[in-house]
Amino acid sequence: MEKFEINFKQIDQIKKITLEEKNFRIKNLELFNTAGFPSKKFEDWKFTDFRKIIDNNFDKLDTKKVTSDFKKTELIKNFDHNYIILVNGNLHSYNFDHEEKSKIKISSYDNNINYELSENPLICLNHALAENGYSLEVDKNYKFNKTLVIYNFFTNEIKDKILNSKNKIKVKENSEIHIIEYTINESKYKFINNVYEDLVLEKNSKLKNLYIQSKRSEGFFHKYLKSKLSENSDYVNLIFSSGLRFNKLDIECDLIGKNCSCNILSALYLNKNEHQEIKTRINHLVPDCKSYQRVKKVLDSESKGIFQGKVYVKDEAQKTNAYQLSKALLLHEDAEFNSKPELEIYADDVKCSHGSTSGSIDEDSLHYLMTRGLNRKESTNLLIKGFLNDVVEFIKSPKIKEFVENKLEEQVNGHK
Amino acid sequence: MLEIKNLKASINSKQILKGLNLTIKPGEVHAIMGPNGSGKSTLANVLSGKNGYEVSGELNFKGESLNDIPVEVRAQKGLFLAFQYPLEIPGVNTNNFLKTSLNSVRKARGEKELDTLAFLKMVKEKTSELGIDEKMLSRQLNVGFSGGEKKKNEILQMKILDPYFSILDETDSGLDIDALKTVAKGVNSSRSKEKSFLVITHYQRLLNYIKPDFVHVLSDGKIIKTGCGDLAEELEKTGYKKLN
Repeated sequence: MEKFEINFKQIDQIKKITLEEKNFRIKNLELFNTAGFPSKKFEDWKFTDFRKIIDNNFDKLDTKKVTSDFKKTELIKNFDHNYIILVNGNLHSYNFDHEEKSKIKISSYDNNINYELSENPLICLNHALAENGYSLEVDKNYKFNKTLVIYNFFTNEIKDKILNSKNKIKVKENSEIHIIEYTINESKYKFINNVYEDLVLEKNSKLKNLYIQSKRSEGFFHKYLKSKLSENSDYVNLIFSSGLRFNKLDIECDLIGKNCSCNILSALYLNKNEHQEIKTRINHLVPDCKSYQRVKKVLDSESKGIFQGKVYVKDEAQKTNAYQLSKALLLHEDAEFNSKPELEIYADDVKCSHGSTSGSIDEDSLHYLMTRGLNRKESTNLLIKGFLNDVVEFIKSPKIKEFVENKLEEQVNGHK
Repeated sequence: MLEIKNLKASINSKQILKGLNLTIKPGEVHAIMGPNGSGKSTLANVLSGKNGYEVSGELNFKGESLNDIPVEVRAQKGLFLAFQYPLEIPGVNTNNFLKTSLNSVRKARGEKELDTLAFLKMVKEKTSELGIDEKMLSRQLNVGFSGGEKKKNEILQMKILDPYFSILDETDSGLDIDALKTVAKGVNSSRSKEKSFLVITHYQRLLNYIKPDFVHVLSDGKIIKTGCGDLAEELEKTGYKKLN
């Protein structure tokens, strides 16, 4: 594909925007058009040549808005839940029948100004063009009765499209919510989904966010996640989303209130030409906070898995407790794992550790299981399950755990 | 039950077994003793079908050749190996594993698979018979198990899979007297006209509890002496050196 540039006229077509917003969008579009898609020259894209990936997979790309004729698909039956339905990034509908509705605010997302400029061209592109997305706010002192499932549908209309959307989740003081973001891709075609997401956790709030995929698809996903954690808040992000052609999660987390805790956990299986990257930056800005990262990847055939994890500890962030571990299990000689753990510490009374390992299936363990009557494939699958298990164990609800375990099993067995 | 003729095995071009002959009939218990490095564990591995060995000679199990039969099929046909060093399998629940294992063997034998309830009932019987704490089974397979617990778990697996022929590879090593009795109990309660055992050990101690019909001495990849139970006692006194 030739150099990809977006015409400024596209910003003119965005309705109901102030001059200030328009200027912000134009500025960002200029930045994107100058930089282009990120190549390996960008430090944050060291292991992912996105420009090359685009060139290899798309002959043309278009950023025009899509309208879709969406027919409702079946929802998860395994457990009771509230839901939000997004179609190609647009807020389509929602249902909070299990909750006190006055405690929840939900709307299409429209604030597109108050952002810092970014060096990541995909964020610039998002700032320039995003019109879709949702904003969810949980009022003070409210604990959700049931999990919220965000169904993230993609339809066939989005061939060769770049979708840009922005979401925001705000959990106010003393409130708690569990969210499952469930991506269902019905598109046979390749497309790019570029998301910017803001998370705000106020004092004593809890947010558990789980990402999972219904099946293998041709989507190319980039999500930048910015979260701010206030005093005593607790954030857990569980990433099980596999089966995408490309998936980069760029997670930045500011720990701004004492005693807050940030947990990023991932367990997944990649196969064929799948490429998945988790990049994190945990900013310990105040004392007495905890961060915990555990990333596990099983890499088969020509898949590629990347973990770039950075922990930054500001000089005043004493008594920080930061833990980071990434592990890869490589099943094939053409599979690739890159890991770049980084600690940047300016405080002197902290507990920080990081580790990264990769290895293949242990032949002696396989033999042991096979002497008990399991064939090679069954034994391998059992070892894979065991490898991913310590992340799955973080799910407390038995029904949701079972749902995730089944999805992981499909990843391992059925996605081939 | 098992017929071994002129068995040779090498690993990384080093020959370990150098023409071993052994016949074990249904209902018999054979013990193999021998010094370190004589090939005892290699014999166990080769019988189980472990990859990585170059093997020649004849292996017949219940009238069928075992050559080219994969590990899991040997297990399904009723050959069991209790490991000298049972492997730790993180993230795999022992109970779930035992059930999967049993059902794959039952399936291969054309038997009905057991549901969870029937399985747990069976496990309860076997654990109480062996005096094993059931709590062990809710833990990850062998992870953090003591030496004794691991060996007891091997014997429990043997009891659950109910094989025709069991090889116990130094199951007695590192065991205290109580654990040793559990192991012996597991074997003795399974002894019958149809079942055979091959007990590999360094010491005569285990053979005080499991009385073998025959004792063989393995040295430098071959059986150099065969006798009855009292051969073990003799070896305990004289050591292996005198035999060479």
